Amino acid sequence: MMRRVAIVGIGFTPFRPLSPEVSYRELVYESAQRAYHDAGINPREDVDSFITVAEDYEEGTAIFDEYTPDQLGAALRPVHTITADGLYAISAGYMLIQTGQCEVVVVEGHSKASNVLTPSYISALALDPIYNRPLRFHPACLAGMEMARFLVETGTVREQCLRVAVKNRRNALLNPLAPYGADLTLEEALASPPAFAPLSEVEMSRSADGAIVVVLASEEATRRLKGHPVWIRGVGWCSDSPTLETREWGEAVYAHLSARMAYRLAGIRNPAREVHLAEIDDTYAYKELMHMEALGLCRRGEAGRLVEEGATERDGLLPVNVSGGSLGMGHLGEATGLARLAEAVMHLRGDAERRQVKGAQTALVQSWRGVPSSSGAVVVLGV
Amino acid sequence: MLPLEKPQQVHRALAWQGEIPTYNIYTFGIAGERFFRELKEHGRFLGTRCPACHLLYVPPRIYCERCFASLEEWVEVPGRGTVFTFTLAYYDLDGRRLEHPDILALVRLEGAHGGVLHRLGEVEPGQVAIGMPVEAVLKPPQERRGSILDILYFRPTRR
Ligand SMILES: [Zn+2]
Repeated sequence: MMRRVAIVGIGFTPFRPLSPEVSYRELVYESAQRAYHDAGINPREDVDSFITVAEDYEEGTAIFDEYTPDQLGAALRPVHTITADGLYAISAGYMLIQTGQCEVVVVEGHSKASNVLTPSYISALALDPIYNRPLRFHPACLAGMEMARFLVETGTVREQCLRVAVKNRRNALLNPLAPYGADLTLEEALASPPAFAPLSEVEMSRSADGAIVVVLASEEATRRLKGHPVWIRGVGWCSDSPTLETREWGEAVYAHLSARMAYRLAGIRNPAREVHLAEIDDTYAYKELMHMEALGLCRRGEAGRLVEEGATERDGLLPVNVSGGSLGMGHLGEATGLARLAEAVMHLRGDAERRQVKGAQTALVQSWRGVPSSSGAVVVLGV
Repeated sequence: MLPLEKPQQVHRALAWQGEIPTYNIYTFGIAGERFFRELKEHGRFLGTRCPACHLLYVPPRIYCERCFASLEEWVEVPGRGTVFTFTLAYYDLDGRRLEHPDILALVRLEGAHGGVLHRLGEVEPGQVAIGMPVEAVLKPPQERRGSILDILYFRPTRR
């Protein structure tokens, strides 16, 4: 018998381009306080295990997992760190509770991107050191190349990608956490200078600082806790080959397979009809379209048209990235999936204020780990 | 309880600036060594074939990423192919804006499942298209050291 697992607490800071007055530990401490208050728990007594996500190079510290416990209230307790997006930690926490060994698990992710003075060097260090890195190209070149291949394989046009940027930046205007909201028009987006053509400046998310903490609990534990449980109905994750020369470029196979795993657990057969709200990766505008198709929210080559028709607007048939996405909220590194999960939880609780998707009962959350990666995770939530 | 006070003047926000100097060597391995020796000594490209998946891996490797078979059949691949995808990069690695974009492309070598990621040269940005036939331009033999930089760039194929 599968145990049911719920999200019973979320805490976060606002997301900001800079945060010079606080350290990453203080950002996490603030979010943890909010999450524990939300769940009504004491981290020193009520939590069986803690999971954090972080990458050494992005933190500028080796063996960074050693630095994760204190600010979470997790010192001298079971803790492990995953070097992947926060949705992988949600999946791991879900499984820890499924084993019956844990009743309450805390997940943490943060970004102090503004402290990284040479971010392109870090993603360049993620390239194959023998075949690719000696060429000394900016790693976002890979996004431009992937977009070019996606456009030619699916018949999507650049203007449809720009519409994603317009939608998400406008959505962010209603999100008090989002620093990159803008009343952008399609004409203004069309005039954006090329960065890694066909990718233009306005289609690339900017980084942000912030922290998110999530409290998971077994069904039994939720009965003892206050608040409004949101159930984790399915999780999935997948990695394609890292080899740029041989992997897929025109479609997000990792997202397709992650979703298949999560939908199977959730019993979802027709995601386009059963999902009321999708918070999916839009690190680059075309990625939202590519991911919509991979996640089965539409057929291949259809996503661009859906955006044009307004189907993915907040009041459309299938709202996508009502939060503003990474284009509107800023990219939070490996914490990105958790920021999107928090947005989905707010909608399912009916707490999303002016952004609220009415009647939302099932939400899809998906992450991608950025260039040059070809991996990511999916979580399906429900009430 | 959350702190009641935070710094309120940006010039009072202090930070320590550090750096991460790290140096590594990266072993080519069995497959990489053979690939780069052949490129250096003979100016030729080699791949390995998976008999089960009918895929010819360039860069070569000794196992198939699809079926996990050991790959033992080495095949020469011509130093020409087509542009599988490309970008016009208006930024260099340091984040400096470029007036004339750098052209980076994934070239599918003829008959290969993979190919080579490299720059395009002897071509204007506006002339590049997916599917365009290109060929490798190598450094002269005495300057080749056994690296991906033994290839200078790919250019439109001359007939
Ligand atoms: Zn094979």
